[in-house]
Amino acid sequence: MLALVLCLVPQEAPQPQGFPGLAAGRAPEVEIAWNRLYDTDALYAHFDRLAARWPGLLTREVIGHSVESRELRVYTLHDPATGPADDKPAMWVDGNVHGNEVQGGEAVLYLAWYLLENRDTNARARELLDGCVFYLMPSVNPDGRASWFARAHNAHSSRSGVQPTDDDRDGLFDEDPPNDLDGDGNIVSMRKYVPGEGDYRLNADDPRVMERVPANDRGIRGDWILLGQEGLDDDGDGRVNEDPVGGYDMNRAWPAMWSPEHVQGGAGPYPLYWPETRAIARFLLAHPNVAAVQSFHNSGGMILRGPGTESYGEYPRADLAVYDELGKDGEKMLPFYRYMIIWKDLYSVFGGFVNWTYEGLGIVSFTNELWNDESQDPQKRIDERDRHFFDDKLLLGAGHVAWHAFTHPLYGEVEIGGFAKDVGRVPPSFLQEEMIHRNALFCVRHAEAMPRVAIREPVVSDLGGGLTAIDVVVANERVIPTRTALARDKTVGQPDVLTLSGAGIEVLAGGFRTDRFRPEQIRLQEHEPARLVREAGLGAREELRVRWIVRGRGRAELRYQSEKARDALRTVELR
Amino acid sequence: MPTLPLPWVLGALVCVAPQEAPVEAPPAALELLDHARLASELKALAAAHPELVQLVKLGESRGGRAIEALRLAGKGVQDDPARPAILLVANVDGARVHASAVALHHARALAEGYAGDAGVQALLDSTTVFVVPRANPDAAEARFATPRVERRASGTGVDDDRDGRQGEDPPADLDGDGLVTWIRVPDPDGEWRADATDARALVKAERVKGEAGVYRLWPEGRDLDKDERVAEDAPLDARVDRNFPAGWEAHAKEAGLFPTDEPETRALCDFVLAHPELALVVLYDAEDSLVAEIKGVSEEPSARPGGGRRSTTASEGVLESDAKLLGELGKRYRKATGVTVKSEASDKGSFGRWCYEHRGLLVLATALWDVPLEEKKDDKKAEKKEGAEKPAEGAESKPEEPEAKAGEERKGREGKESRDAKKDDEPKPSDDAKRLKWIDAAGPEEAWRFRPWTPFEHPELGPVEIGGLAPFARLEPPAGESGALAAKHLEWFRSLGALLPRVRLAECTRERLGENLWRVTAVLQNDAYLPLQTRAARRAEALRPAKVTLRLPQAGQRLGGPAHEFVEDLPGSGGRAELTWLVQGPDAMEIAVVVETPNAGTATRVAEEKR
Repeated sequence: MLALVLCLVPQEAPQPQGFPGLAAGRAPEVEIAWNRLYDTDALYAHFDRLAARWPGLLTREVIGHSVESRELRVYTLHDPATGPADDKPAMWVDGNVHGNEVQGGEAVLYLAWYLLENRDTNARARELLDGCVFYLMPSVNPDGRASWFARAHNAHSSRSGVQPTDDDRDGLFDEDPPNDLDGDGNIVSMRKYVPGEGDYRLNADDPRVMERVPANDRGIRGDWILLGQEGLDDDGDGRVNEDPVGGYDMNRAWPAMWSPEHVQGGAGPYPLYWPETRAIARFLLAHPNVAAVQSFHNSGGMILRGPGTESYGEYPRADLAVYDELGKDGEKMLPFYRYMIIWKDLYSVFGGFVNWTYEGLGIVSFTNELWNDESQDPQKRIDERDRHFFDDKLLLGAGHVAWHAFTHPLYGEVEIGGFAKDVGRVPPSFLQEEMIHRNALFCVRHAEAMPRVAIREPVVSDLGGGLTAIDVVVANERVIPTRTALARDKTVGQPDVLTLSGAGIEVLAGGFRTDRFRPEQIRLQEHEPARLVREAGLGAREELRVRWIVRGRGRAELRYQSEKARDALRTVELR
Repeated sequence: MPTLPLPWVLGALVCVAPQEAPVEAPPAALELLDHARLASELKALAAAHPELVQLVKLGESRGGRAIEALRLAGKGVQDDPARPAILLVANVDGARVHASAVALHHARALAEGYAGDAGVQALLDSTTVFVVPRANPDAAEARFATPRVERRASGTGVDDDRDGRQGEDPPADLDGDGLVTWIRVPDPDGEWRADATDARALVKAERVKGEAGVYRLWPEGRDLDKDERVAEDAPLDARVDRNFPAGWEAHAKEAGLFPTDEPETRALCDFVLAHPELALVVLYDAEDSLVAEIKGVSEEPSARPGGGRRSTTASEGVLESDAKLLGELGKRYRKATGVTVKSEASDKGSFGRWCYEHRGLLVLATALWDVPLEEKKDDKKAEKKEGAEKPAEGAESKPEEPEAKAGEERKGREGKESRDAKKDDEPKPSDDAKRLKWIDAAGPEEAWRFRPWTPFEHPELGPVEIGGLAPFARLEPPAGESGALAAKHLEWFRSLGALLPRVRLAECTRERLGENLWRVTAVLQNDAYLPLQTRAARRAEALRPAKVTLRLPQAGQRLGGPAHEFVEDLPGSGGRAELTWLVQGPDAMEIAVVVETPNAGTATRVAEEKR
């Protein structure tokens, strides 16, 4: 109310509102170029700039160290003046568990920047920082990220962490990676001219493009063969590039339907084997207030939810309704993104992160796959020629390594060429900002859905004979329940508790009412009626009616406690 | 000490007669040691035999106690670090402190026997032995505390009774006898009744037969949270032996928050992963793979569970060919030790299951001892019976019927009375009644195992009785038997080294195909009983295969065959793998073949010309 009054007072030089967000507004306090991607150090440095500008609101925590001893940083974003972080519902947002899937890191950074820049001028931004907390981990895999920027890679490599792994079981570790033969920082393809003995030919209009020659009985053969990624047989075992750096998948390492390597490649010897994954698991287990999870990946334009495997079955219906509401909003906020189920619409994943955060911890969790492709439309998958058109016309050909000759020790004269590492999974710079803005704002949508409990005005009735009834409605005003149906079914975490206390008051009976109009329709709790225990919590926008029968007079306090919502309080006077 | 001929050749494995033990004084009873004493024993043993025994720290328990192993390796280990190793682990369960004593007994006997005993020498000169006598020191310590309680949980606690409070109503010693036992409360709504043959034993009332319950049964303790449930929310819940990744039961309170969350569990996993030379695991704990018959599961590839990209063989259970090996080894074990104890332990998230299913290691597991269900027969009869055992075992040694998830501690009470009762109307004693009969017959020294039901005024429940089987009653053999049990197991354990796969180059020849042209043939052979890799290891791709390398001088050139061949499917009992190369080079050059394995030794042989 106070804030409203202040707004009505005309001010001399009104501060321009609406930026960031509206283009004609004021300049941001901290300028960050959103059309670029940043390596691990630069990404962390931007976060530290934000923390330096808003020291009370953004704080850095190191939750562990990566295999290469990089800091695993989680930034906590909220206003501590409005209460400790542990008491507020929290959203966890991370990116870049796959080292090559970098732009999630910028999306996490953008989320912090956008809320901080808008906090003083936008009521919703302020409410988020007051009533909620964000735990932001820009890079789950800082080693993989650093490697992707600093070393020779393609769009798909550096997915793993960097712990040496004997992929080919020959007793040697990471001894046969792809090799940047031409030293240009990209791992591209090798092709060889073998006139009349190949299975590829060059496209007649664009010789950069390889076309497969279909098998036929007419004796038509191609003049080219493809020889895989740029590389050598470093260990002389007759295979090329078969034991690269790392070789595991930190998004198959989580203890939900976790399966060993022979079922799920990349899973590692046991769940949470790598320090990055274990540090995060410990953090989340120590923060039961986390009520929402987003884990950014690339690419394909997806808003993914579990289950990761068909054998899990389906999630409880009540939780699916929550997922669907958020997921469908996401489809509108993210044009051409599809809301999908991992196992059904993508592929089977055992031990995925968002599977664990929901199936293990009972948190409503999504993974967004950032960036479709140059057409942005999943209905029109583009082919190589379309990609060249885009690259030629919109990037002046910057994204392609032209085929050039190389003398290979095994294959002889070959050509090396193909798309650069920052083509295919990350958008070009001019499309970055839109992508990260839309995805960061989907996190805002998700965070605003976190549970908020209110206790409505209690009604006190005299039942005669010294007995008093207190009727009250407790409500969750948001769509995410205080306890998901999964948490209820699997008894994850602590149940919610609603207490009535007062010095002069003896609570004789109490329970949740099952009928709005008939106060005697009540599920009485047998023991400790002053402390009602609610395993199911408060569901999506659920209102519960509670009745206590008490003896005595005076002031009574009602308190609703839940791990994933702020405590709700209300006092009532019994006269 | 008698010695077994080592190494056993395969054929002898099946038909070796039991060794006649020379007449000696009966072995001394084993002493149960608390953590501090066990740790100092391990240290002393390593200090006394510095050339043979090393103390290795695996990690620390949640309570900060060191988890330690003794590594015993005789001479020869320097020459071949890839020689096979046996890992003996005891007491993952926590309550099996006696199993710890047996493991320590083995370590001590091996260390002290090495100098003068040819059998021990043969074992330790060819095989490394790791002994982890106490994998779960925190839970084990409850054995030495007052009051005494049989405790298996040592890790993360949960809110068992879902009242929003954690650990507020633990078991306790109410009657001050120093033991946490059981409370029975007369209650017409109770589900338990007295056994008709022995009123001290309780059995579940079967309502379908018109039986009525008479008692409610609780662990000894208060009802501190006054919810009419007794001792239902202990502060600790997670168990080390339920916390391994294979068959881990998500959301079960004993399973822990995630596999390997318990530091003891993770320490064991890391130890196994750090020692690729392990070829066999022996487990003295709650699990059993040697007494109950193991039904193998099909090895046919099936779809990946849950639909996936790779096809795989079943990921649960013992694969057929491995089950066959275990069947044979179980037979030998029972013959050597006379043990017929079945395990009542769940294998969900167990150490043994992880070792086998995920790491491909064969696990020989035994629960060592339980209160016998039969009266004690004289030894000769018992031996004869065991000797005459047929592959299809007698009815009384069939595995127990699967039981509902009552805690292991309570399982024995449910027994198999229902099946027996169907045969005729005469009341049959329940398993607990049989145990009581054995305890009675064993005399006053064993009377501690049962606390007579004694009236007690319970602060919340009113008049109750406290009593029942005492903690550890079913885990610790009589003092007079423990030494002999350990000695028999030591004899059996010593024989295991000879079973382990060891590769050798049975043939290595060069055959002249023309001038300067040679065909090189090498035959890799495994004479031991066990295969180079179990079927499970090959499925899991958990172990490195044998790497076979052709070694040529500068003058030689490989014209055919790869630089390295990899062999993982090398059966036991003389299994062979033949490898050939085509080589160009002068007569005078030396051609050699080198075999490297992680856990079955190394071999090098110069090719001899075949004429």
